Amino acid sequence: MIKIVKRDEPSRAIFFLTPILAIFLTLVAGGLIFYILGFKPFEALKFFFIVPIADKYGFSELLLKATPLCLIAIGLSFCFKSNNWNIGAEGQLTFGAIVSGGVALLFYEQEGFYILPIVILAGAIGGMLYASIPAILKTYFNTNEILVSLMLVYVSKLILDYLVVGPWSNPEGFNFPETRQFSDSARLPLLFEGLRIHAGIFLALAAVVISWFIFYKTYLGFQMKVSGFSLKTAKYAGYKGKKMIILVFLISGACAGLAGVGEITGPIGQLHREVSPDYGFTAIIVAFLGRLHPVGIIFASLVVAITYLGAETAQIFMQIPKYTGQVFQGMILFFLLASDYLLFFKFKFKGSKK
Amino acid sequence: MNTNLKISNVTKIYPGCVANDNVSLEFNSGKIYALLGENGAGKSTLVKILSGVIIPDEGKIYLNENNLKLNSPLDAKKNDIGMVFQHFNLFETLSVFENLIIDSDEQREVLREKIDSIMRKYNFSIDLDIPVLNLSAGQKQKVEIIRCLIRSPKVLIMDEPTSVLTEQETSELFLSLKKFSEEGILIIYITHKLKEVIELCDEVAVMRRGKLVSVSEIKNENIESLANKMVGQNLKTIKKKKEKNSSDKLINITNLNFISEDPFETNLSDINFSVNRGECLGIAGISGNGQSELFQVLSGEIISDKNSIEFNKNYIGDLNPQERREYLMAFSPEDRLEQAAIPQMAIFENVALNNYKSSNFFNNGLINENKIKEHSKKIISDFNVNTDNIELKSQFLSGGNLQKLIIGRELITSPDLLICFNPTWGLDVGAINYIHETLIKINEQNKSIILISTDTDELLKLSDKISVIHKGKLSKIMDADEVTSEKLGILMGGGN
Repeated sequence: MIKIVKRDEPSRAIFFLTPILAIFLTLVAGGLIFYILGFKPFEALKFFFIVPIADKYGFSELLLKATPLCLIAIGLSFCFKSNNWNIGAEGQLTFGAIVSGGVALLFYEQEGFYILPIVILAGAIGGMLYASIPAILKTYFNTNEILVSLMLVYVSKLILDYLVVGPWSNPEGFNFPETRQFSDSARLPLLFEGLRIHAGIFLALAAVVISWFIFYKTYLGFQMKVSGFSLKTAKYAGYKGKKMIILVFLISGACAGLAGVGEITGPIGQLHREVSPDYGFTAIIVAFLGRLHPVGIIFASLVVAITYLGAETAQIFMQIPKYTGQVFQGMILFFLLASDYLLFFKFKFKGSKK
Repeated sequence: MNTNLKISNVTKIYPGCVANDNVSLEFNSGKIYALLGENGAGKSTLVKILSGVIIPDEGKIYLNENNLKLNSPLDAKKNDIGMVFQHFNLFETLSVFENLIIDSDEQREVLREKIDSIMRKYNFSIDLDIPVLNLSAGQKQKVEIIRCLIRSPKVLIMDEPTSVLTEQETSELFLSLKKFSEEGILIIYITHKLKEVIELCDEVAVMRRGKLVSVSEIKNENIESLANKMVGQNLKTIKKKKEKNSSDKLINITNLNFISEDPFETNLSDINFSVNRGECLGIAGISGNGQSELFQVLSGEIISDKNSIEFNKNYIGDLNPQERREYLMAFSPEDRLEQAAIPQMAIFENVALNNYKSSNFFNNGLINENKIKEHSKKIISDFNVNTDNIELKSQFLSGGNLQKLIIGRELITSPDLLICFNPTWGLDVGAINYIHETLIKINEQNKSIILISTDTDELLKLSDKISVIHKGKLSKIMDADEVTSEKLGILMGGGN
């Protein structure tokens, strides 16, 4: 007989193993789903996870998708580590894109090295402004940040919609819902000829390094850790709770805003209706799959980025809708949460030593 | 009819600890038995086994020669074993009557009659139709007892029942328990309070580290002999030298009020007191009368009017705890595991929770780990924390060692005033002694203490002056020499 026993202490090894277990279970379940749909499971999984990144172009696409996921997830980990539930990164990304896009349009057909930094900065500030709304409402009016940040996502998308259809739409654009092309000086440079991967990846890598430093070496990181475990203790230690809540939201918003900048000033070079295929939501999965650890988040963003690519390949070669990608993302989160059970409990087989 | 309860060779092993090591005991009705032991001695495990909450690894339980299979609390109830836990299991918003009948399928009218007759018989007076949240702790406990009595139990187990009661409520409880015993109910009384054992019980079983160390009749024992059995060594008795104190005012609280938005908190009204240097002010009271709110107001977790707290000639009512620490105040909250320390963090990280500027734990926003670790090592050795590994997660420290660590951490700054809230709550006698000695030492160095405690003995032992908090109001401040525990009890219950 198998008995389930509570662990004395959450296992450190299991803490880092469960994400891998979750990915494995997702593959098994995914294979099963493909089988039920009438595909050969292994072949389908190959189309989904291996074919898309088998060549140089595919690998560049992988990094392209992983960049915003990583950047946003790093920002979110500041919030999640300190017990603040910012669910609206998608909105902060969108608003960051709007602000930086607006600035880029101001410099329409102008050249200058100073333009790109201003555009990037504008995106970060846009994200911060948008994230400050749930933060301020939470600290001063006791609202629930989950609801506020989530609802603001839809507000930002509608603002974007209005702008690209209305005042900012391209005068020569035959009424397509998009703006003019930004000038080259307002665009993140591409890294390789013929590939779409752009300099935004350096922003993501910088965020990884800086966040690692803040988490583990600074007083702010320590305060975040304490607040994450117990808000009562944080209060007793005398940490300025409100200040910290606003700060982590701003950091998180800045990262999402930067991801928005990368989306519009990279390969596309204009504002259009769909700046992000829900990167802001998917990054929540990335943050948890990466265990809120900067290095973990790098790996997690790569894994989750594959599901975006795989969905596209599957659509082309297997004629199944690209929303399969979301099914996989959902399964990863589901299995991760389920295998977290193993953190606190273990199986004991009757007859084995205590 | 005579009831005989036999525990035979019961063993319960948890990973890393033997909670009950081959314990055998026999009880007979007509007597009140004490089960005595420090925290962690295994007495709670044993009674949880008797009440079906825990299933033992080995051993058997017999009631009147019948081998009982106790796989759930329901089995215990069916076999006429009633238990009153230390923490009440009542639905606060339901009425007393609803709480009493919740686990019974008899008809309401029949039950009502039964409950009325129980209340008449034992002189309980509780309004059955008001919600439980309006009851005092003593009344809540009576509700729990009635709930057991409805099933006319053969055995009644009381787990540390007096921890929330006033002196008066305690003596009422003892009268009831003696009456139950005369009527043939076998009573097992779990406690670590020696005085109660002597006062109430006929026989005492002492447990230590999971083992039964002695069974004896109370008439052959006294407080010292029981204490030594319980701790396993001879304890020195601590006595505070009462000296003439200075009249140099350190902290002065004037017209301090706190009105809470939370209906489950207590409002504080018009608090006024002062503490001199080298003095210990004890604040007595039954838990839930505003102690927690008072502690938070004093520590700065709740900000109040700037002028309401004057400390060392500075007005600090609007400062947060960290800022107050800079003025040389220190705080030891009641809840060790959820507030004073973070169990999942290492010892040295917990030390860093006291961020007093000149301790240099954090420089320019960066963590100075070497400094923190150095200090942690010093605390561990100075305050006898029983480990040499400062990387150990603090959840692996016993309550006593954790409290030593917390007090040690708070004393890093050599503060002028230490505010403690139930500093020895749930600790074993050895650790209590150590904490008490430490507190006395602080006073001897001409530093002051505000000791908020629900333990009257502790207050009488350590305080120079005592006040009582009741429903958020402080009584007048009395000299500790003029106060008796009876007098405190009356004030704690709201009398004059």
